[in-house]
Amino acid sequence: MAALMEQLQIMSDLQTEADIIEACKEGDREAFHILFEEHKDRIYTIAFHYSGDESMARDVTQQVFLKLFTTIGQFRENSQFSTWLYRIVANACADEHRKRRRFVPFSPEIEVSKMTVKSSQEEAYHRRQVADSVSAAIAELTPKLRLPILLKYVEGLSYDEIAEALGISIGTVSSRLNRGHKMLARKLGHLRSEVAAGE
Amino acid sequence: MFTRHAIKQLSAYCNGELSAEQSQRVREHLLACARCRKQHDEIKLGVQLAEQLPMVSAPAEMWSEIERLLEQRSRKPMLQPRAPNPFSTFNLYRVAVYAAVLVVAVALAIAVRLYSSYRPTPSGPSWDVASLSGTIRVGGQRISNKGRLAVGETLETDSTSQAKISVGAIGEVLLDSNSRIRLLQARVTEHRLALDRGRLRAKISAPPKLFFVDTPSAQAIDLGCAYTLEVDDLGRSFLHVTAGWVELVRDNRQSYVPMGAMCQTRPGIGPGTPYFEDASSSFVRALEAFDFESGGEKAFQEVLNEARARDTFTLWHLLSRVEGDQRSRVLDKMIELVGLPRHVTRDGVMHLDQKMLATWKDELDSVWF
Repeated sequence: MAALMEQLQIMSDLQTEADIIEACKEGDREAFHILFEEHKDRIYTIAFHYSGDESMARDVTQQVFLKLFTTIGQFRENSQFSTWLYRIVANACADEHRKRRRFVPFSPEIEVSKMTVKSSQEEAYHRRQVADSVSAAIAELTPKLRLPILLKYVEGLSYDEIAEALGISIGTVSSRLNRGHKMLARKLGHLRSEVAAGE
Repeated sequence: MFTRHAIKQLSAYCNGELSAEQSQRVREHLLACARCRKQHDEIKLGVQLAEQLPMVSAPAEMWSEIERLLEQRSRKPMLQPRAPNPFSTFNLYRVAVYAAVLVVAVALAIAVRLYSSYRPTPSGPSWDVASLSGTIRVGGQRISNKGRLAVGETLETDSTSQAKISVGAIGEVLLDSNSRIRLLQARVTEHRLALDRGRLRAKISAPPKLFFVDTPSAQAIDLGCAYTLEVDDLGRSFLHVTAGWVELVRDNRQSYVPMGAMCQTRPGIGPGTPYFEDASSSFVRALEAFDFESGGEKAFQEVLNEARARDTFTLWHLLSRVEGDQRSRVLDKMIELVGLPRHVTRDGVMHLDQKMLATWKDELDSVWF
């Protein structure tokens, strides 16, 4: 009996994303919470680097999850969940950007300064400086170049998945990433030795 | 020979998105083309920089904010009434549109009302249900094909109808005629329904302790199995397990019921002692009398007299349900039928040593199955 119980307990730990999504479709709040915990940091990170602004990142993340929870019934198992989710993220970023642009000129240079986090540890300090500089440089890219970079380096999506999430061709993804990479290199060429040292 | 410049492919090359053959071509081209090599160095630096992008943790209180917004949305009607501005032609236009929508909605509602088999999809957690025959009632409404059973709602079949219920993604329940269930919980970690009367057949393929059925006299806990559970008009329930194990619980009384075994429960008492369905009718009758009818010594002795080796399954459960002389006699009967294994002592069993009881039970598996 003990062996049986142990085996059954192991089985209970093996809950797949498909089960959780199915439970979300049935309105299960606990399943929503699991899904939220699984994706919140990556979505918040994308929103934060997209906007360079904490309050917008917060709003976008909220909107994404509200949209996700209210439309998850439309998700079909034959498509990939991450692609579907990041289409919502991309749309929410674009919507929020459009909304705010009507009132305040988007000015990443101002917001970027907020990202600087002072570290007391000497060893981490330079790494942090590089990371902050990269954040600032990404925030200065145009939204079209920014989103593919974020989906690639925050979420780790493939070119295929980025293309599907953004509704563009793989060729366009390649082209935008090419331009984005080049602009980063030109803005932050002075960090070449620090990046190489970290390799 | 690959002669075209590779600039357009350089990001994909650095990100490992090209096939082995394409990568080889780009590699060869870079060796020969200074212009593309320069571009490659630049893009490679861009990739290295982008890889430094830091992750940022979402604020801890975000979930409670989202939950609050979800609550608000679930309470808020879809169309928010607004105070119209009578001087705005745009608002007049909107009022006209809303009015038209309202008229259509009312007309639809009337049509829906008339068409009795229609039922709106519940907004909260719910399970798919389908009529297998006849007309079933879900939440008081008649359904002749498919519908949804929401938490708190009742599903009833009559003498001519049967229903199939999808238990989330973990299994299904078939509800026989003249039965009634209520959906109590539909969460990932707890799928619970109450069987008020009638019979259901459950087939669950999920980890244990996710699917529960409450009856008037006990709770059936799925341990990965298939079973039939029936509740009669007196609130008595009858469990028949066809695969795996089911646990029956009420207060401190538990019965583990394996495939091929049965267990009865009674209101106010809880689960009786389980038994294999191939036990003799006199054994079962005596057990019922002992468990539920104050059968006393006569019924107890009859159980011992009628027990076969396989019925040590029942006797093993009885050990912890009787005391003193009766426990000693149950033990004697078990030793007579199957003997006492090594590492299990008479004294230990008499004192209900849990380790010894578990050891003996494991040894008895070969006799029971």
